Amino acid sequence: MAECDAEWELCKENIQPLRHGRTISALHQALCHQHEGNNTALNQKKQSYESELRLYEGDDPLDVWVRYIKWTKQTYPQGGKESNLSVLLQRAVRRFTDDKKYQDDIRYVELWIEFAEGCSDPMDIYRFMQAQGIGTMQAALYIAWSEENEKRGNLKMADSIFQNGVKCGAQPSEKLHAFHRALQARVCRQMMSSMTDQKKDHDDDEDGEGSEEPQRSSLVELKAKGKKKAVVPINRASASVGYARGLHFKQPLGPKQNSRLEIFDENKNPETEPQEPRLEIWTAPPTARAKENEQKPEKWTNVKLPLKSRSGLSVAVPPPLPTFQPFVEEDHQPPAVTPCKINPAVNSVLSARKPCRVQETPLKMLSQHTQHAAEGKPREQSMYCKELLYCGVIEFCFEELRAERYRQKLQTDRQTD
Amino acid sequence: MTGANEFKLTQGPEDSISAVKFSPTSPQFLLVSSWDCTVRLYDVSTNSMRMKYQHLAPVLDCAFYDPGRAWSGGLDNQLKTHDLNTDQDTIVGTHDAPIRCVEYCPEVNVMVTGSWDMSVRLWDPRTPCNAGTFTQPEKVYTLSVAGDRLIVGTAGRRVLVWDLRNMGYVQQRRESSLKYQTRSIRAFPNKQGYVLSSIEGRVAVEYLDPSLEVQKKKYAFKCHRLKENGIEQVYPVNAISFHSIHNTFATGGSDGFVNIWDPFNKKRLCQFHRYPTSIASLAFSVDGSLLAIASSYMQEQGDISHPADAVFIRQVTDAETKPKST
Repeated sequence: MAECDAEWELCKENIQPLRHGRTISALHQALCHQHEGNNTALNQKKQSYESELRLYEGDDPLDVWVRYIKWTKQTYPQGGKESNLSVLLQRAVRRFTDDKKYQDDIRYVELWIEFAEGCSDPMDIYRFMQAQGIGTMQAALYIAWSEENEKRGNLKMADSIFQNGVKCGAQPSEKLHAFHRALQARVCRQMMSSMTDQKKDHDDDEDGEGSEEPQRSSLVELKAKGKKKAVVPINRASASVGYARGLHFKQPLGPKQNSRLEIFDENKNPETEPQEPRLEIWTAPPTARAKENEQKPEKWTNVKLPLKSRSGLSVAVPPPLPTFQPFVEEDHQPPAVTPCKINPAVNSVLSARKPCRVQETPLKMLSQHTQHAAEGKPREQSMYCKELLYCGVIEFCFEELRAERYRQKLQTDRQTD
Repeated sequence: MTGANEFKLTQGPEDSISAVKFSPTSPQFLLVSSWDCTVRLYDVSTNSMRMKYQHLAPVLDCAFYDPGRAWSGGLDNQLKTHDLNTDQDTIVGTHDAPIRCVEYCPEVNVMVTGSWDMSVRLWDPRTPCNAGTFTQPEKVYTLSVAGDRLIVGTAGRRVLVWDLRNMGYVQQRRESSLKYQTRSIRAFPNKQGYVLSSIEGRVAVEYLDPSLEVQKKKYAFKCHRLKENGIEQVYPVNAISFHSIHNTFATGGSDGFVNIWDPFNKKRLCQFHRYPTSIASLAFSVDGSLLAIASSYMQEQGDISHPADAVFIRQVTDAETKPKST
């Protein structure tokens, strides 16, 4: 156990936070397994989930998927490719797209939302869900959708989505209303604070001195500016830091002003004049920040990058090609096959990047799936249980399926004896 | 349906057949492993069963080490060697999951097993004991020995080429050139390449030499497909066996057909009559005169009723197996 504690200390920064948290025992176990490079138990568990997916015969197949996904999240704390979580989610949501029984099942809707959050454009997924009638009676969909809009600064849309949800009669309605009110409160607060910010800017201009240097926060989401085109401002200081998940990274109006005063109190030497230390900050700033300060960053918050693509994202200018020929040794030839050592503990060796295939958006894949179902006349017919072999994240062969059936039969035989 | 050049083995296994293997020295003896938990030794010349031994669970593969010793492994995770002269069992070792394949490499004198525990293990057949465990990226589905090289086919359509004399690193990592799951890999007797079959009615001929010139020669083709009412039914290609002299090979599919192919002229040499059910395994005898055909349903379409499992021994002629030199 002491070892595990040490393990936790070593890798806690790699553990992705989950909304519902993690059970500490599962976390310990996962970390211990990784530490020892002992994948056997993990693989066995995974294999058993995979075979359960295929051979489940009850009336709630979604349950297996939900348990499998939950287990995956707990077992691979750092997420990533190894966990295959995104593939798993995609398969799960696709599997039951046409299943009317699960359309308003909260577990299924939550899988969809999680899947959407992993996509590059969650909005499309939410729209797809609405079109398919998945989760339209669940408050969770509208909350997630609205949050996404809010993140992009589209507050009007965020609000109308809540209204839409109320109109549809999504349940539980109290939750929906609570989130709606919270959104409205945040919008109000933001407007107030931006008004005072403007006022403050005014004051600052009159004073001719920046009373407080904007703090640039790290690892927080950027708030987009602009109504239609979401453009992340260049100056990513406090004003542009948005909300993540409805939590405030920025202090609300009142305390902020207080803190401003407090800072002055701290720096202020009771013997000296109140003006002096503030002046010093501006006359001799640290060299790293000198340039930025000379250019008055406050003004820059309104300036947009001149180059823009249609989607509103700013495009970086590619660096000019070098005018000289880079030197390449004459006898240099890349080896055809690179021998590389395999460490038995680590089998996730980076492979050479494969030629990029045409980008398939998740939505396209989903709609293709429904299209195929609509056509219903395949020219080729696979004479084997393809959907069983490729059901989960890892593939099975006939022998594995049969072995699982054999094991189950053996078990029931033993029970009846 | 069995003609003059073909007969069915008597006292056949009571459940599906997983593998058939001829003795390395004589066309007289044939090993048959089965889902009925047994490995049987047949005397083909007299059509009789000489011996059988038991595993704790279904057996997935077997192999001759020498004419007097058989090795086998299966769902009980145990690797067994059986002395065919004294009828004695020895458990050599275990895997962490069922053993899917067992092969012998005469050039390095080592037994090779592949398992769903994502590893390949080598075994010294003289002691006998474990001579190393080598992690693979995925579950091992098939493997084949080409001289001192080992070709491993795993889930996720990966193919790994190992050097049995230096197992410190993977010599080549490849991706199957076929779109679907790898079903079987068998190396050319001339050791230059291998043939890989997939569950979706396709076979690929590949070469081991990584140089571009040689790699250009590789190809793949469709087979084991039947047209019915305008719909093409695609069957898995489960079995491959090489003719040791002519370097031609036979493929068996779940459609119940056996085809013999000439890989050099890219031609089909012949097709036999349709067998009662899926072809699970194929084996040419060492002299290339006989072909053992295991016709056995593998539950490809679920656990449904099916024709009886049987092993057929067919005499093959040069006309059927020799490339046409025109």
